[in-house]
Amino acid sequence: MKKKTDVWQGTLALMVLKTLAVLGPQHGYGIARRIERTSENLLSINHGTLYPVLLKLEQEGSIASEWGVSDNNRKAKFYRITKTGRKQLEAEQRGWQQASDIMGRFFALRGAEE
Amino acid sequence: MRWLRRVWRRAAGVRGGARQRQEFTAELESHIQMQAEDNLRLGMSPGEARRAAVLKFGSIASTQESVRDQMGLPGLESFLKDIHYALRGMRKSPGFTTVMVLTLALGIGANTAIFSLVNQILLHPRGISHPERLVVVRTKYDKLNLKSINNSPPTFADARDSRAVFEHAGAMRRLDVNYTGGDVPQSLHGAAVSAEWFDVFGAKPILGRVFAAEEDQPNADRVTVLAHSAWVRIFGADPGVVGRTIELNQVPYRIIGVMGSGFEWPAPVDLWAPLALPARAFNAGNRFNENLTVVARRRPDVPFAQANAWLKVLTDRVLNAGTPGAASAKNADWGLFGVPFIDFSAGATKVPVLILLGAVGLVLLIACSNSAGLMLARTSARAQEMAVRAALGASRQRLIWQTLTESLLLAIAGALVGLALAYGATFLLLRLAPEDAVAGLEASLNTYVLLFTAAAAIVSGIASGIAPAWQLARIDAHDTLKGGGRASTAGPARQRLRSTLVIAETALALMLLVGAGLLLRAFTQLENVNPGFESRGVMTAMFSLPAKQYPDGIKQAVFYREVLERVARTKGVTAAAIGIGIPFSQYAEAGGFTIEGRTPAPGEATPHADRRYVTPDYFAALTITLKQGRVFTEEDSLETEHVVMIDENLARQYWPGEDPLGKRISLWEGPCRIVGITGHVLGSDLAADSGKGVVYFSLFQEKRAFPVASIVAKTSGKTAGMTAAIREAVRAADPSQPVHDFKTLDEMVSNSLASRRLVTQLLGFFAVTALFMAALGLYGVISYSVTLRTREIGIRIALGAKPESVLLGVLSQGLRLTAVGVAAGLVGSLSINRALASQLFKVGTFDPLIFASMAAALLVAALLASYIPARRALRVDPLTALRSE
Repeated sequence: MKKKTDVWQGTLALMVLKTLAVLGPQHGYGIARRIERTSENLLSINHGTLYPVLLKLEQEGSIASEWGVSDNNRKAKFYRITKTGRKQLEAEQRGWQQASDIMGRFFALRGAEE
Repeated sequence: MRWLRRVWRRAAGVRGGARQRQEFTAELESHIQMQAEDNLRLGMSPGEARRAAVLKFGSIASTQESVRDQMGLPGLESFLKDIHYALRGMRKSPGFTTVMVLTLALGIGANTAIFSLVNQILLHPRGISHPERLVVVRTKYDKLNLKSINNSPPTFADARDSRAVFEHAGAMRRLDVNYTGGDVPQSLHGAAVSAEWFDVFGAKPILGRVFAAEEDQPNADRVTVLAHSAWVRIFGADPGVVGRTIELNQVPYRIIGVMGSGFEWPAPVDLWAPLALPARAFNAGNRFNENLTVVARRRPDVPFAQANAWLKVLTDRVLNAGTPGAASAKNADWGLFGVPFIDFSAGATKVPVLILLGAVGLVLLIACSNSAGLMLARTSARAQEMAVRAALGASRQRLIWQTLTESLLLAIAGALVGLALAYGATFLLLRLAPEDAVAGLEASLNTYVLLFTAAAAIVSGIASGIAPAWQLARIDAHDTLKGGGRASTAGPARQRLRSTLVIAETALALMLLVGAGLLLRAFTQLENVNPGFESRGVMTAMFSLPAKQYPDGIKQAVFYREVLERVARTKGVTAAAIGIGIPFSQYAEAGGFTIEGRTPAPGEATPHADRRYVTPDYFAALTITLKQGRVFTEEDSLETEHVVMIDENLARQYWPGEDPLGKRISLWEGPCRIVGITGHVLGSDLAADSGKGVVYFSLFQEKRAFPVASIVAKTSGKTAGMTAAIREAVRAADPSQPVHDFKTLDEMVSNSLASRRLVTQLLGFFAVTALFMAALGLYGVISYSVTLRTREIGIRIALGAKPESVLLGVLSQGLRLTAVGVAAGLVGSLSINRALASQLFKVGTFDPLIFASMAAALLVAALLASYIPARRALRVDPLTALRSE
């Protein structure tokens, strides 16, 4: 089963934050590539859907941006995570962890019955 | 809070929108380029690489759209667009804009001006913290018809010691002093106050300090605190003035402080000095010697009713404690009660100011209906444009919002112009108003006033925009477009709405006109009141002889004789006299007396009378009629029998059916014989006469010294040179004495009517404004209806209709509207005129003459307003009218 999963905005925001927290400043293209690679191409997104998320995060103060130069000397806008963003990431990560733990236990339960 | 930050960022993004969008396009481009480069590296051809990159990105347009939507605030943006659009519309029709702005400016400006007075007089008197907690303690003697007088020192002490009820209590007595430090001696308004006075009001000095308790003692060094205005006027705002010693009444006083600019109470005041009551003033025997104004500050947890109840307790305590004189006080129904400070300080101005506030409220209503009418007319004219916009997809809500934005903008512009008008008007008003009525007030637009204006602007903006917006909501784009705009503009609903507005305006205008008419009539009645003396050609001036040089009546009499002799010799003077308590001078003294040979029945109040002290020529100078007996003469002296004159009211009250001449009465001067009876003289108010009887004493039989006295000089007509003559006479008698308050008696009488005159004039002005606005509104409606009926009129003329019938048709339309408005206004008048009752004098609230004449005035204005468009209707050329379709 190699169906590519759709991504909804809230999760995408979390992925963006995590990516920036791990990699440091990145441009939009870099973030998109990184998300695809981390999900081992299970997750293929239209890169365009990333930008509304970036704008929203920036307006909320979770990330900040400035223009810089990319590895191959191209002008690009670089995003970095802010202190607020880290706090938000931590909180949401904990929530996700909990949710997936619970779900995992349910799935395990079902497996034992079969 | 994250969303809040987001809203803020988005709002901030509204302005830099274009740049932000450009940047975003650049960012997208760089993204696609980077992807394309990576694709190239994977071995794609350049064209393929680019295509794959774009494909991978997804829809650029939809990304851009969704980012754009997030960038600014769509609501704010469309609001700014509305403003932009409205401003353009205003610029495009300057005539409409000017009339709208001026109408609203007049309405809002008048409200702002009057509110700034209401605020200063009734809401936030300057320089006083929490004025609502201040209580003025008053004394009454119900049986003696003394409703509200001052308090005695023992009563002041009671209030001061009631710490469970009052935080602070202070006492004050007027102390006008002669200041000789300047170029010419001048008289200053002073107040002797107890140490806590400034604490009571929460008033703070800007320089130095206020009185300490030990300075409020009879033998303490004399100190004084200057009022801010006096500090500026007399000492040029010199900061080094504190510590200086000045001479007041030839006694040195050290200046210890300067008050902040707000606090000037009792107004007008130039300086305060300690009251310094001696210990014996607080003796129980002094309980009914009432000469202090006592103001107390309620504790925050004590409501007014409770403070008042406490004063009742004090009253009972005094009456039942065996206080000397308590029995007769009880007979006279003596008692203490509280008055809220603002009611006391506003005094007689309260009702007029509220009447004016009501009047300007009506003016604003008229202004709003007028501008609503104008907006409606404009909406009609733009119906087609609106219909096109609606057809192109503008939501109804947007169109309504836009109309409201426009009316709000116009109202804000009106408010700005109105503020300027209000400032100028208040300034002018304070200049024109009688000094006493507006002492301590200033033309300032403070926060409260600005808030009020802002509220007025918003309310009138919405009020004038709501009707057109409502109309817009009902526009049928289809019909309007089909009819080339005509079908809708002729919409009977809109014309009906405008007619309703005109009817409302007419009704409101009539209410104002009737109110103004009633006041005007009352005023003319007042001017015709006979005060009991002849004020024409009488010059008056005041002087105050300091106790140091003039310790008794004998010394003062010497001065009086010298001054009078010189004044009487002046050319044109027919009689000159000194009087203490001359009519309309605000000076009043009263006291009890007993009638020889009569014992008052138990429970009967002691006889009581106003007192006046005069020299023999006083009655000639003021032309007061002598009813019986004789007037004082030069022969009545300290060596001869003490005589008094009484007025007819006192005679009627205490000697009904008897001849008082030759009877003896006992006052605290001792027994006196009544030698003359005069006519009654109105004391201070043409509208309200206490009717209280008067006893006149001869100044040449007085041993006691008086702090202030007036000179009255009757001339054969011209009072012009009298100021110099009196000044010269006083200078010759004693060069160190200032003379002040030069006024003709006519002026004094007229000043007593000044606040009424001002209210009458203002109300008249507002009423005329209202009349004008209502006429303008009617003109608008009739003129518009003529335009709509151009074709119909054209056909009728073509068919041979007589011009008169066309004219009559148009005129009758205007008159019909006005008649309905007049009828509504009459009903409205009847219901609100009760508010005027206290200001009316010998005029009922329903005065048929006034009602009829004001209704007639409105109808005439309506005729004029419809005549102009009617004439235009007559000039309609049938051919052009028919072809224009």
